[in-house]
Amino acid sequence: MNGPAEPACWLSSLPSGDNELELTFRDPAGQLRLTADCALRQIRPSAEEETRAFLASPMRAALERSGDLIPSRIASPDTYSSIAPGELWLEHPRIDPISYPWEWTTAQWRAAAEVTLRVASQAIAAGWTLKDATPLNILFAGPRPILVDVLSFERRDPGSTVWLAYGQFVRTFLLPLVAAKYLSWPLHATLFARDGYEPGEIYKALPFWRRFTPDLIDVVTLATRFEHRGATQSGSKKRSSAADPELATHILEKRIARLGKQIRHAAGEQGRSQWSRYEQSASHYRPADVAAKQQFVKRALGISRPAHVLDIGANTGTYSLMAAESGAEVVALESDSAALEALWQNAAREKRPITALVANIARPTPAAGWRNREHLSLLDRLTGKFDLVLMLAVIHHLILREQLPLAHIAGLCAHLTRRWLLLEWVPPADPMFQEWLRGRDDLYGHLTEDDLSRAFAPFFVTIDRTELGNGRVLLLLQRTPEQAATTPLAQAPPTESNPP
Amino acid sequence: MGSGRGAHRTLRSPAGHMRLLRVFPLVLILVGAVLLFERPAYGYADPGTGLLAIQAAGSALVATGWYLRRKIYALFHRQAAAKREAGELPDSADGEDTSNP
Repeated sequence: MNGPAEPACWLSSLPSGDNELELTFRDPAGQLRLTADCALRQIRPSAEEETRAFLASPMRAALERSGDLIPSRIASPDTYSSIAPGELWLEHPRIDPISYPWEWTTAQWRAAAEVTLRVASQAIAAGWTLKDATPLNILFAGPRPILVDVLSFERRDPGSTVWLAYGQFVRTFLLPLVAAKYLSWPLHATLFARDGYEPGEIYKALPFWRRFTPDLIDVVTLATRFEHRGATQSGSKKRSSAADPELATHILEKRIARLGKQIRHAAGEQGRSQWSRYEQSASHYRPADVAAKQQFVKRALGISRPAHVLDIGANTGTYSLMAAESGAEVVALESDSAALEALWQNAAREKRPITALVANIARPTPAAGWRNREHLSLLDRLTGKFDLVLMLAVIHHLILREQLPLAHIAGLCAHLTRRWLLLEWVPPADPMFQEWLRGRDDLYGHLTEDDLSRAFAPFFVTIDRTELGNGRVLLLLQRTPEQAATTPLAQAPPTESNPP
Repeated sequence: MGSGRGAHRTLRSPAGHMRLLRVFPLVLILVGAVLLFERPAYGYADPGTGLLAIQAAGSALVATGWYLRRKIYALFHRQAAAKREAGELPDSADGEDTSNP
């Protein structure tokens, strides 16, 4: 779940005063603190009895065993000086880095939704319920989604046929997937929709005939109609029903099953993209070049022996998988979600510790939420955490498409890696470089490997180098000692509804 | 839910079918009544107005299926029911849940 202890303690690096981060401030039942290698959750007195009952339940143990729920144990005041006697605190392992739903692929959304429904179903069977059901309560530990909000559980009224988190599940899981499938609204737009989409928003945007699709007629069309009627009547009074407990359980199970079916339909097959077929279609790479590149990467992994690797522009994950097979925990960034989907599926199938994020390092995910302090920016989550950063066949994207000067790219690399950088230099003669040069020869056509070396020299020294048959150059760089000793940018802790 | 044998006996004649048709609206009314006896419930997440109503409507549908499941099952398994009446099949085959998904 978590890697080895990190060099910097989160608490000590938290901004203070006006810049203090807003952690789990919405939940009346508790709050969260992060330490270097665990998450501590304070339970407020009003939620203490319910939490203790949950901890003692066989359901909690079963969910933890299955890997669907973050492990919890009662934190001892003897271990943590910040815990006052008599207070109830829980200790969870840290999942690092945090990934937010707006950085997931469609398949990751589906996996997160399915784990939520699985947990909800088991909770219902055991006499409990989830009081909230949002993607923000799920973190990916490697490729695996895990429910991290243990305060989401509450004992349910046995006669109630209402799942109060149903509306939130539909708004935050189902409707974003529906919008992505039928309206091409990108999933990363959920960055601006903390509570998802209202049925009425989707209803208005859907073509008329689509509103009557069997999977949408209840959660979009009828819900919108009832919404109007409800708004003109008594407002949104929350009510539950009294029914035979056996019948109530049956109704809730059917509701969960239908949601599962709707999620499966909404998160249908992903299409292909230029980059998801890149490795099969790359004409500028002969088999001998591919073999030489893989050999160099293996050698670099052998020299650097990284525990944490960041793969920037990971594509379908060939080199992320190599790094993971060498024993490293990997974070793979890729802006093409179809390519990253293939990576995530491979990692999930082979159970490799690879966290896949849809992200563009040139336009990294910004901080978001209340006062921009609920959700961390991508760089806040990544800076200074990696022993090795891979930038394979990426630098020409940054130069030509993002128009970034080499010195700025070098500066970012120096912030991201603690020690090693594996870089692929793509010269102007390369077909891919030429494809994006587009008449800007005066600006970029003169760039050479020497220019690259000069830009990176203030931060790195070259340890190993090889030139491939296609003219590309692979470089293993190491941070210079004075740079390596520099404290990385301040790190900031995560938030979601209640995450560790 | 009543005895499976009783249900099968009811279904053997056209009069039995008529009786079932009379029972159906009664069950709907009962289910509706059950769902109308509501009391306030308070949640952490906003349940929404329309989506809460969808739950109530879905509950009514599933509850109807729940109450009628033996009868619905019997409608499609009359032959098996007849054999069971004759003692050729055990009672345990009865009562499968065919309520609404």
